[in-house]
Amino acid sequence: MFKPSTKTAVTTAAAIAFVAAAALPHAAFAADVLRIGAPLALTGGLADEGKKQEAVWQLWLDKLNAAGGVKVGDKTMKVEIIKYDYQTDGKRAGQLAEKLITDDKVDFLTAPFGSGHTKIIAAVTERYQVPLLACVASSESVYDQSFKYLFGTLAPNSGMTDAMAALYKEKLPTLKKVAIYGRDDVFPKSMATSMATSAKAAGIEVVYNELYAVGTMDHSAAISAIKSTGADWIYMTGYTQDLILGRKQLNDLGVKAPIVTMVTGPAYREFTDGLGDLADGVTSSTWWHHATAYTGAAGVWPSTEAFYKDFTAAFKSDPDYVHASCAAAADVLVNAVQKAGGTDKAKVRDALEATDMLTFYGPIKFGPNHMNLGRDMPIIQVQGKDIKVLYPASIANAEMKLIK
Amino acid sequence: MPTLSRPLRYAALAGWFALLAVTPFIADNYTVRVAITVAMYSALALSWNFIGGFAGYPSFSTAAFFGLGCYVGALSQRHGVPLVLAWLLATLFVTAFAAALGTIILRLKGHYFAIGSIAIVEVVRLVISSWGSLTGGGDGLNVPLLSGGPDRVASTVLYVMLGIMLLAFIATLLVDRSRLGFGLRCINQNEDAADMVGIDTTRYKILGYALSALFCGTVGAVYASWVGYIDPTDSFSILLTVKVPVMVLLGGAGTVFGPIVGAGLFVLLEEFFWANFLEWNRAILGGIIVFLIFFLPSGILKLDYRRLFRRKSPADRVEAA
Amino acid sequence: MDLLQILVNGIVLGALYACIAVGFSLVWGVLNVINMLHGSFIILGGYLTFFAWFHLGVDPILALPAVALLLYALGYALQYLFINKVVTSPVLTTLTLTFGLDMILYNLMTVYFTATPRRVTLDMGSADILGVVMPMDRVLGMGLAFFLTGLLYLVMRGSTIGRAIVAVRMDRQAAALMGIRVNNIYAITFGIGALMAGAAGAVFAMVFPVTTNLTGTFLGKAFVICVIGGLGSVPGALVGGIALGVIESFAGFLIGPQHAITLGFVLMLVLLVVKPTGLIGVKGYE
Repeated sequence: MFKPSTKTAVTTAAAIAFVAAAALPHAAFAADVLRIGAPLALTGGLADEGKKQEAVWQLWLDKLNAAGGVKVGDKTMKVEIIKYDYQTDGKRAGQLAEKLITDDKVDFLTAPFGSGHTKIIAAVTERYQVPLLACVASSESVYDQSFKYLFGTLAPNSGMTDAMAALYKEKLPTLKKVAIYGRDDVFPKSMATSMATSAKAAGIEVVYNELYAVGTMDHSAAISAIKSTGADWIYMTGYTQDLILGRKQLNDLGVKAPIVTMVTGPAYREFTDGLGDLADGVTSSTWWHHATAYTGAAGVWPSTEAFYKDFTAAFKSDPDYVHASCAAAADVLVNAVQKAGGTDKAKVRDALEATDMLTFYGPIKFGPNHMNLGRDMPIIQVQGKDIKVLYPASIANAEMKLIK
Repeated sequence: MPTLSRPLRYAALAGWFALLAVTPFIADNYTVRVAITVAMYSALALSWNFIGGFAGYPSFSTAAFFGLGCYVGALSQRHGVPLVLAWLLATLFVTAFAAALGTIILRLKGHYFAIGSIAIVEVVRLVISSWGSLTGGGDGLNVPLLSGGPDRVASTVLYVMLGIMLLAFIATLLVDRSRLGFGLRCINQNEDAADMVGIDTTRYKILGYALSALFCGTVGAVYASWVGYIDPTDSFSILLTVKVPVMVLLGGAGTVFGPIVGAGLFVLLEEFFWANFLEWNRAILGGIIVFLIFFLPSGILKLDYRRLFRRKSPADRVEAA
Repeated sequence: MDLLQILVNGIVLGALYACIAVGFSLVWGVLNVINMLHGSFIILGGYLTFFAWFHLGVDPILALPAVALLLYALGYALQYLFINKVVTSPVLTTLTLTFGLDMILYNLMTVYFTATPRRVTLDMGSADILGVVMPMDRVLGMGLAFFLTGLLYLVMRGSTIGRAIVAVRMDRQAAALMGIRVNNIYAITFGIGALMAGAAGAVFAMVFPVTTNLTGTFLGKAFVICVIGGLGSVPGALVGGIALGVIESFAGFLIGPQHAITLGFVLMLVLLVVKPTGLIGVKGYE
């Protein structure tokens, strides 16, 4: 006869065994498979960004494996991407990175969207000495701990702000006052800080320079304050929902500035969709735009155009910098594996450090802090229904328009 | 009523403890990480039990204590305080903070206390976040990485977390048997009556609240050293602040073993669902909570198993009451 | 002139805030339940309005009553099926239950609607009165907010249902003895709370981009407003909302946007301790 106590113990033990069994690794290992781990934010606050990464890597992977795989030395390797959802939760992100390394035995990792979560994962990969490619983390503070295994395909923010201040000064010689309003979050904050420095250096007076807290629902107070400064350039950073609201409130409250920059609003389709006509004239900087035309590139796509064609055919929409940078990061990894002649982590790390290649996304060469060295990053503007490139001159397809 | 006799319960706990402790020798680092998570949440759940379980105050400020612990630990380390001392400093600071806060917020009861304690999490997050010059604001903070390879770090963190869990458990046992535990239980049943029979309710509540913060502070600081990077959003998460009470409810609030059972089971369940139902894990967790409220209202340890397996008899009902 | 503009900004925003909080306050006041679903209800209302407008071309003002009714049905069902069973339990239980339900609703919304920010683009321009600029869609939102809270006030005062709700709130047992079906009244009350949230969401979709990322923010605002204004009264929610709107507006202007929200929460904590009944706290919900 069972006493209730035994029964409890048995049930509990069974439950634990069940759960433990389910958690056991069930992956097969093969030497000729290159395994890339990808912790992604597929649900939660950054779900939209996470899904972009997921989509473009699938496109990349299909294309690569359809061509038979990667030639490494005299053998051909298939590539696998193992992804998990970390629910936009930092604690999970670190946990997943560890799971991918120890449980799924991936050879390399890619980082998810955002500087904060990239940092968390970098702490894990550094410990395990596994190369990590960050394709959507641009704040220099991510790379300032001299991690040996972390590499980033985006260029530092400061490159973007200097070029922008110089360009606007040239297009609008009367430009005197800029108002800077940024979200208190890793990337938006660092863009705002960096712009304040660049503007001062370019001889533009910073008449308003404030941050808004995460969770700010309304910007009328700040915008009224900005209005009273009479700034002729408004530079706002934040997430798409902040920027949509900010642009609308600038208009509602009658702020008339000839230049409105929202980082990185126009780089996303959601921004122009959410604003309609109000988006017209808004400028931004971005790391990549599909108007760039690199040819003769190494990697899955030989040219920017080829990537654009495949992408639009698959998703019926334009790719943005997240897509491009992440696909390029995968190319960089494969390239390093080929150079290293295998998946040995230390050798691949050295090969990554020595990377000097051209991808459809642009040239990639890592600087001393392992960020992609600055190249001319595009400044874009919404003109009518289109996104036009204003800078650099080599790919510019429109003149900058001032907002009336 | 108890389904396991006391000695058996201790034996089961010791076994569970030993199982967690040997994971570095028998399993990979991912499993060790799960074990660390179990130990961490057990310590948090045991802490919450002082105020939420014994005293019955619906506190939702766990994340505030945890997050403050993260930041105090990280900042002290960055200013050259040695590791262990930084952890202790975080513990002291958070306990003092809770005690001071308690003198004010514990005047509230019921719903008002619940709302107030959630608001604390928000306020601390916002202050940390806007005090950029000290805390790095939204940029977050890098914390010096623990030295040693991944295996070494994992096992170190595990033993530290297990140590905290053990201390929290011992504290629970002591409180359970002391006048403090008795007083807190009286407050739970009827605060006014407790006051009238000469229990210094204010002092007891503050003690309970401070105790509920103490280990959260340590856990936060250790967590910060472990992950190497903290930011306001992740350190002060509302999800954490609700998850911990749910774990205690799952195991049995106000009991000695309940928080450990609840935390262990919750973490394992979460692990399982999250690994198998990628897109729906949040809904499933929500479902578990709903299920728990309806079918296990007083937790696993207080579940009357006989009623599940036998037909109801008057004797059972008496025993269950 | 600046200060007048700031004041107007604050009042317009405050009216919208009141609209967020009034349903939450009703549920808390009558059912004694802290409804963690409230933020998601608002977003759901906003999304439904957006989709009706975007895909079917339905004017948001026409969509509002339909959306509100849908939310009413959802709220009624949730209360009737789940929350009623534990409605007399301590706050820990009810709060946790609604949190669990919220996780499910949130997950459903992110899967089916995604977290993309969406907005109904009416863009009706602004009116300039003596140098004070008033965006017309916000003014419309404010008008709707006043109309909805006013309507609720009249319903609570004048209708049989309203009186029954007030009776249940004052004394559950006595109300039951008078022949009021308490569980039904609870479900109706929760339904009305959801209805107000849905309506608020519809109003918000015309002014703000709505995204599931904002559910927590809305909920937080509802907390603060209820405590500032005082629980369980329509005027309380209105006063609390406008007070918060004006405070945030001035704080954002004078001490910087970074500290504006912090101030709201701190004020709430102070009021909780000093005057838990809020600025306008009365016994019955009316």
